[in-house]
Amino acid sequence: MVPIQYNARSLLVRKVTTLATAGGIALVVFVFAGALMFNAGVTRALATSGSPDTAIILRKGSDAELSSAIGNDYLGLFRGPAQVSQAGGMVGEIIVVVTADHADGSGVSNVLVRGTPANGIAFRPEVHITRGRAPRPGTNEAIVGQSIAGRFAGMSIGGTINLKRNSPLTVVGEFTAGGSTYDSEVWADLDYVRNSLGRQAAVSSARVRLSSAADFEGYRQLIETDKRFAMKVMRETDYYEKQSQQTAGLFTAMGLALAIMTSIAAMIGAAITMNGAIAHRTREIGTLRALGFSRGAVLSSFLLEALLLALIGGVIGSIAVVSLSLVSVPLINFATFSEIVIRFHATPDVFIKALIFSGVMGLLGGLAPAIRASRVTPVEAMRG
Amino acid sequence: MNLATYARRNLFRRRGRTIMTVVAVMVCVLILCLLRTVIAAWNAGADAASTDRLSTRHKVSITMQLPQRYIDELRQVPGVKAATWANWFGAKDPKERVPFFAGFAVDVNSWFDVQDEMVVPPDQLAAWKATPSGAILGDVLARTLGVKVGDRLVITSDIYPGDWQFTVSGIYTAKRKSVDRNTFLLRWDFLNNDPRAVYSKDHLGWMVSRISDASHSADISRQIDARFDIHDDQTLTMTERQFALSFLGGFAAILSAFDLVSLVILAIMTLILANTVAMSVRERTHEYGVLRAIGFTPAYIRGFILGESVLVAVVGGLAGIAVVYLVVNQGIGPALEENMSGLFPYFRASAQVLIGALVAAVVLGVVAGAVPAIRAGRLKVTDALRRID
Amino acid sequence: MTETIVALSGIEKTFFRGKEAIHVLDNLDLDVPGGSFEALMGPSGSGKSTLLNIIAGLDRPTRGTVKVAGADLTTMSDKQLARWRSQTIGFVFQSFNLIPVLTAAQNVELPLLLTQLTSAQRKAHVATALRIVGLEDRMDHYPRQLSGGQEQRVAIARAIVNDPKIIVADEPTGDLDRKSADDVLTLMDRLNKELHKTIFMVTHDPAAAERASVQRRLDKGALQ
Repeated sequence: MVPIQYNARSLLVRKVTTLATAGGIALVVFVFAGALMFNAGVTRALATSGSPDTAIILRKGSDAELSSAIGNDYLGLFRGPAQVSQAGGMVGEIIVVVTADHADGSGVSNVLVRGTPANGIAFRPEVHITRGRAPRPGTNEAIVGQSIAGRFAGMSIGGTINLKRNSPLTVVGEFTAGGSTYDSEVWADLDYVRNSLGRQAAVSSARVRLSSAADFEGYRQLIETDKRFAMKVMRETDYYEKQSQQTAGLFTAMGLALAIMTSIAAMIGAAITMNGAIAHRTREIGTLRALGFSRGAVLSSFLLEALLLALIGGVIGSIAVVSLSLVSVPLINFATFSEIVIRFHATPDVFIKALIFSGVMGLLGGLAPAIRASRVTPVEAMRG
Repeated sequence: MNLATYARRNLFRRRGRTIMTVVAVMVCVLILCLLRTVIAAWNAGADAASTDRLSTRHKVSITMQLPQRYIDELRQVPGVKAATWANWFGAKDPKERVPFFAGFAVDVNSWFDVQDEMVVPPDQLAAWKATPSGAILGDVLARTLGVKVGDRLVITSDIYPGDWQFTVSGIYTAKRKSVDRNTFLLRWDFLNNDPRAVYSKDHLGWMVSRISDASHSADISRQIDARFDIHDDQTLTMTERQFALSFLGGFAAILSAFDLVSLVILAIMTLILANTVAMSVRERTHEYGVLRAIGFTPAYIRGFILGESVLVAVVGGLAGIAVVYLVVNQGIGPALEENMSGLFPYFRASAQVLIGALVAAVVLGVVAGAVPAIRAGRLKVTDALRRID
Repeated sequence: MTETIVALSGIEKTFFRGKEAIHVLDNLDLDVPGGSFEALMGPSGSGKSTLLNIIAGLDRPTRGTVKVAGADLTTMSDKQLARWRSQTIGFVFQSFNLIPVLTAAQNVELPLLLTQLTSAQRKAHVATALRIVGLEDRMDHYPRQLSGGQEQRVAIARAIVNDPKIIVADEPTGDLDRKSADDVLTLMDRLNKELHKTIFMVTHDPAAAERASVQRRLDKGALQ
């Protein structure tokens, strides 16, 4: 086997070319990893929003809380089945999407307002008040999620949000739910919100805590086959998983497609560089062959050099893409039509995939040149 | 023969390398044009949206409805020539042949007068007016669902429970390129009379008005909102274009990201081109020394190098936009417009995109060749002659 | 008595290798009469090529005056030197240095692109030059299709196409076999005797030196 120092040295000697080619690969990896980080960010935001032992109930035929409506009378019936954890409780909530002005005057976006009952905050152990205090039940007090606090007019402590003429909500605190979609919502009292909207008779959705995650299937069967009403039951994690797919799916696919298409150009770049290097080193290669290194050894040697080159680019791109995790991106959640804030999320999985991707680029780009190199005969070492 | 001949001929020195560089440039230009076309297609809806039509909706939330009697007041506002309304029906295909299409419950008497880019044959329109359970479909939607005029059709809804039976009264075609041909229109009175719609009885989702003078749109919008300001349900009125733009605003960050990716693609192209030029120059240093000895000044040397770089960029760029033109404008563009009219009512690579890409390639051809050219020009003749290629 | 075409006075050329100063040429004087055929010999590293470069306007001395063909080279800018070279000097190199992607005719035409001549005029000059070197029938061949001796003759045609006063040759026969070398030297002889070109040739080859009218030796930066 040709020693690896030979390849490493050769890369170092032609610094400019090595950096230019690695730079191209780094940029492709940046786009690739960026798309994966975006997807991870959306998944994180939406996946952490649910727990596997919670069932969410919507009216049958609805895909999301926004379009669903469940009559008050049915709520008690949801608590009946044995799978329900009596300690865990249930919440029935109403959702409305309001038009909110950006605090910097740059336009409007939709923000989700959730009317929740007195036990709404307690129902979710991951929710904590970060500033101010919790709203008093039955009043017009509200709290805003950390991701939207201050970004919209009226959505900071002391501000007011108008649901309807003469129906203001007063913001008394900010909360976080660990980065889930709740962080992009405004929470207020269920009855106050319903009264403002004239929808006293119904809720948008119900969430029921089950004794364990395994109880879900049994619970779902019971509720969905109940003849008294027509409901759809989903595991809360699955509900958000679907939203995550709807929201992120398209953009992630586009990002990855762009990265893969661009990688073709980067691979050609790597091939050009490797070909140039080989043309320059024909005598060296001939000498190696004359010394006794086999064609296979030369082939794998240059393949390895291409791989090294690509991995340098992969590492540079991976390091650069870490900076994206500082970036927050507002996005429309297609299921709720409201704005959620997504943070690019770097997981080890992203970097592993990025490095593998760069490796594949190196191997594919360097294959033809490596084959050429292996065809150099010892005689060519003698040529001037 | 002239100086350009020398620059051109030099590209054939290492034919393989030149071809590969041209292909790399072509691929980058191709991807760039595709990306910009997707972005343009996205914005096409907003661009085509009219400024002489206003949409009026609930001030607080797009999900909240307005009393139906508001339409009468709206029609009395000076400057409003005609007005109509619609409710979001949340239509779904129970057989799931179409992933998504828009379903509206609209006023049978005024809808097509105001939304005149949707064209229905008069006899079909008359049939619709005579049939309460009648529906009008966009031609692409009708094709996907496999229905023609006179057929029965069952639709479900995200909002309203159960199955909804309709008769296809007519099929509309689009007068303009970027109009959605995937929309389902039922009669508002049919919805309103159905017991399942009790929660939205006598309410409308939003109103659309045609105004006499587009330049007064801001004024008239204000007047409309002022009229409803005293009521509990206040309104928010803006031109259709502003409405579409505010929807796009939610994707502003994504569009910025795509702009960034566009720059990344250009950077990759420049790096590959610069690398090739640098390699070629390094191999020909001795020859440049000979030319300098004969009397060619550094300016000539720089010119040769830049000329080669720009030539490769231009050839690659032209090849790229030629492929885009053939593949997109003659191929997948029309296909997408026919079959995915909801998402992409308009999908063509515009002249702006194509020429912009070519100009970018030329400019970056200069940029890529600049550093090697300047460095080659600075070299002392005697140093250059001493080099062995 | 023909007038002096090359007048060098007090020439010094010092190179720096790091901090170390190397005096390649030291207080050198040289007068070359017009029409002369000069050969310069000497051991490697004696500064022959450096002297050649100074005469041809490719390099500047650290000290001293250089007057060639009526021009004071030390007062000229790089741009002026380039222009002067294109009109006054014809170069012949050891390794021929033809452009591989151009034909013989196009190679010869190259120096003429720096002039204001029309395409037709350029072609005429090229034909003449190739006729003089006896390679008119090869004008559309590429260098790789020519033998070493033929390549060098094309190079000579390139060197004379703009009718220079002086031909500067650095080891013109170094890469040639005996027969081709003789052909080239005969050609250079003709250029000197029939076309009255002054030739300044650096060479290791005794047979080449024999052909010259004046032979000089350069040793340790000094002329003999």
